[in-house]
Amino acid sequence: MEQLDNDRLVWMFTQMLRIREFEERVKRTFEEHPGVIRGHTHLADGAEASIVGSIATMKPGDQLMATYRCHGYPIALGTDTKSIMAEIYGRKDGLCGGYGGSMHLIDPERGFLGTSGIVGQGIPQATGVAFAAQLRKQGQVVLSFFGDGASKQGAFHESLNLASLWKLPVVYVMENNNYNVSTRSEQEDANAANGEPLSIKATAYSMPGVTVDGGDPVAVYEAVGAAADRARAGEGPTLVESKVYRLSAHGNIIAPPGVPLHYPEHEAITTFGNREEYEAALRGDPVPRFRARLVEQGVLDPSRADEIAKEVTEEMDGAVQFALDSKFPEPEAAARNDYVYA
Amino acid sequence: MAREIPYIAAVQEAIRVEMERDPTVVFYGQDVAPSDEDPLVQAFGRERVRVSPISETAEIGMAVGLALAGYRPVVELLMAEFMLVAMNQVVNEAPRLRYMSGGQVKVPAVFKAGYGFTAGWAGQHTGSIYGMFMGFPGLKIALPATPADAKGLMAAAIRDDNPVCYLINYLMVLEHGDVPEGEYVVPFGEAAIRREGSDVTIVATGWTVGRALEAAETLSKEGINAEVIDPRTLNPLDTATILASVEKTGRLVIADQGTRHGGASAVISAEVAEHGFGSLKAPIAQVTALDVTVPYSEPMEAYVLPNEEKIALSVRQVLGEAPVAA
Amino acid sequence: MDKDVAQALLRTMWRIRLFEERVGQLKRSLQVHGLIHLSIGGEGVATAVCGQLRDDDAVYSGHRAHGHAIAKGAPIDRMMAELMGRESGICHGLGGSMHLVDIEHGFMGATGVVGGNLPLALGTALTQHLNGTDQVTVVFFGDGAVQAGHFSESVNLAALWKLPVIFVCENNGMAEFTSREEHSTIERVSDVVAPYGFERTTVNGSDVPAVYDAFEQFLTKARSGAGPYLLECVTYRRRGHYEGDPEKYRDPVAEQEWAERDPLARMRARAIDEAWIDEASIEAIERDAAAEIEEAVRFARDSPFPDPQTTAALVYAQ
Repeated sequence: MEQLDNDRLVWMFTQMLRIREFEERVKRTFEEHPGVIRGHTHLADGAEASIVGSIATMKPGDQLMATYRCHGYPIALGTDTKSIMAEIYGRKDGLCGGYGGSMHLIDPERGFLGTSGIVGQGIPQATGVAFAAQLRKQGQVVLSFFGDGASKQGAFHESLNLASLWKLPVVYVMENNNYNVSTRSEQEDANAANGEPLSIKATAYSMPGVTVDGGDPVAVYEAVGAAADRARAGEGPTLVESKVYRLSAHGNIIAPPGVPLHYPEHEAITTFGNREEYEAALRGDPVPRFRARLVEQGVLDPSRADEIAKEVTEEMDGAVQFALDSKFPEPEAAARNDYVYA
Repeated sequence: MAREIPYIAAVQEAIRVEMERDPTVVFYGQDVAPSDEDPLVQAFGRERVRVSPISETAEIGMAVGLALAGYRPVVELLMAEFMLVAMNQVVNEAPRLRYMSGGQVKVPAVFKAGYGFTAGWAGQHTGSIYGMFMGFPGLKIALPATPADAKGLMAAAIRDDNPVCYLINYLMVLEHGDVPEGEYVVPFGEAAIRREGSDVTIVATGWTVGRALEAAETLSKEGINAEVIDPRTLNPLDTATILASVEKTGRLVIADQGTRHGGASAVISAEVAEHGFGSLKAPIAQVTALDVTVPYSEPMEAYVLPNEEKIALSVRQVLGEAPVAA
Repeated sequence: MDKDVAQALLRTMWRIRLFEERVGQLKRSLQVHGLIHLSIGGEGVATAVCGQLRDDDAVYSGHRAHGHAIAKGAPIDRMMAELMGRESGICHGLGGSMHLVDIEHGFMGATGVVGGNLPLALGTALTQHLNGTDQVTVVFFGDGAVQAGHFSESVNLAALWKLPVIFVCENNGMAEFTSREEHSTIERVSDVVAPYGFERTTVNGSDVPAVYDAFEQFLTKARSGAGPYLLECVTYRRRGHYEGDPEKYRDPVAEQEWAERDPLARMRARAIDEAWIDEASIEAIERDAAAEIEEAVRFARDSPFPDPQTTAALVYAQ
């Protein structure tokens, strides 16, 4: 993989900030514009370093699939944040014309081939995309993003077995935030219950398993980059366990009509009464941490950092405004047969 | 040029012809060509023809991914019931992704499996479960009833840009029939009128087409002239041909190997009841499997299923020439 | 090994072997119909494991279940009647080979879906755990099931909740018609579950005393509520995947090796060597088993077929 030069490091910081600011704006929409977002959103705040560090390894032609917690990936890939926000607001200028919503973003031209709303079910699909890459022989690599919860799903095991058997060019990136909705990993995973890293699961599939600090984008870049190099060289898949902390609750609350949707506090507090764990995570927030590191290393000038922050805020203000101003699709558009069938 | 070959060979031929024609077609599944001497492996190599482990979720999910990435997978699932192990991928992923993306992607994938093999394969391997798939828009369903259709519908399934459940009844695999050589496509959504008649319309699916034709033969000796229609695909369903026939005959008997509830027969009945009501001179009759798990023992297995006698009896009933059971 | 134990094992193994050979014949002469998967070569594992269990222990199996059911105590005459589709069959002719159930003896069921019973076994083990009994659950499966997602899901839960379940994998290196290396990069199933950290061992499935001892150790611990365990028995499937399977994929050298590793032949020879039994007693066992099988066939043939009208009555519990 390539060494990260200063420009690249600043780019990574910028993408992390863009994801953070976007997710904040989604969350604020529930307060500032109640009723605008319907359904279920899931935010990536806390995982920016892992997302950006992974995506920074991608070469032209590489592809990825993700979960319903998917806003961060297209943002880092360069998809227009106006169209992402409009999709989340259900508008016809949304990324998917209002058909998919927050959980089903997609941008095939930028290599983002979509998500699944069902835990673990995107993993076999990403494995299939890697199968296609193997057939095409153009050196493509596929990143399969999922959470720790998915590693209990049969789909995870079946996919890793197949990918290792056929040496498919895929990197399985498990963002382990230690929670599966409101269940802690130790409550549902035999390895976690034993205090073991989840990357140990890779040994059942003859593939390397590595655990990395998902709050450090450079560490993630190096781990995923090494895995991508392996895959590109035809040596098969790798499991990268990227340890992150989700800074928001699993998602906005699910409520019957009439009850305003909002983001409650993190499950560490509401379910486990462990405010200390949450506050420690806030103190270790990867975004300001990376900013401080780059400033300290002389890579990023504080005034430039402030400028970037201002540009990002403006960008996201624009995204929200664009989305608010966008029209809803015509109701009849729901019956578009050419969207049901190709 | 057509020549007589068995149904099972027609299916294989379609796959081979399409793989020759289109390098993006790949074929894999459990026990697909385990030996390197297999003709498909010889022709296309191990990249495009693979054997996979018993991992339905991965096998079908992978097909979705391959399709999203521009390939056209054909997945061998062996039995329709094994699709149930990966039900999410079949009904909640493959047929929904295009729509949810606002038309940005397509998922051309063929899920191939056998169904309804009433040879004592018992409760978990003998179901005709395709009816449930009719409730998932975006998912096409093909049920070839002849060797020619086995080839033509497989070719159409592979060329279709949507996910297709292609289901063959293993009872028919050795039936011989005329099958055209080379490229041969039977379009989806076009029912076949297997026998013309004016007294009653029998709509029959898959293996029951042959039973309906046998019943029609028997009935013709009684002076009853039955029209037998094979829809070929349940989605898209050629209701126009069915309605036109019912307009001509005024009576409808539906034969399907699936259960009475939640199946193809119920859907077709409702369509005709709603859109062809004015043509009907008698209530619609359904000849389906009983609503039970298919039992193992032979006499019970036979009892549960539709057959030639039951179809003929149903025809006589709708013609008022036999009493209707209470 | 205790003489009485050895004799009991031999008796059960002979009964299974002769039952399976007879079923094979009946299948070929079309008196048994449907998909039949024979346990020839698997008698040792079935017997060494189930022979140590009680009626109130639960056993689940897969599609190759005749041996497990017989070893668990299912009556041979009613099993034969089931395979011949008779009303007197153990499932009244409704289930057939792949869906045998004998609740009275704790044989909870076979299944036609590979690995399909693994999650069910967890459920039974959970109730045993909740009830605080010393009962255990055993689930048999083949190496092919290990790649199915529900295997890993079940293993994780069993390990997490420390359930009293003993996973018994008969690794015959074949799943349907393809060999293990086309299914997985890991040769030994015990290595696949290594990440979960519970006790596991691999034994030679044709060495009946070895299987017996290994299982006994796990059983003792499981009875005190501990678990899970995995016992991998390396076996060789002596016939095709199913009766009628054209078997193009066999290696003649391996066949010869196996003939030398037939668990029944080995146990017989070992039992004589160790004086656990004498020649005359063995011959008596063999004769008795043959007679029992023939009686079972007669019983089945004399039994009526089920009345078809009864099919609907059993769909729902009343």
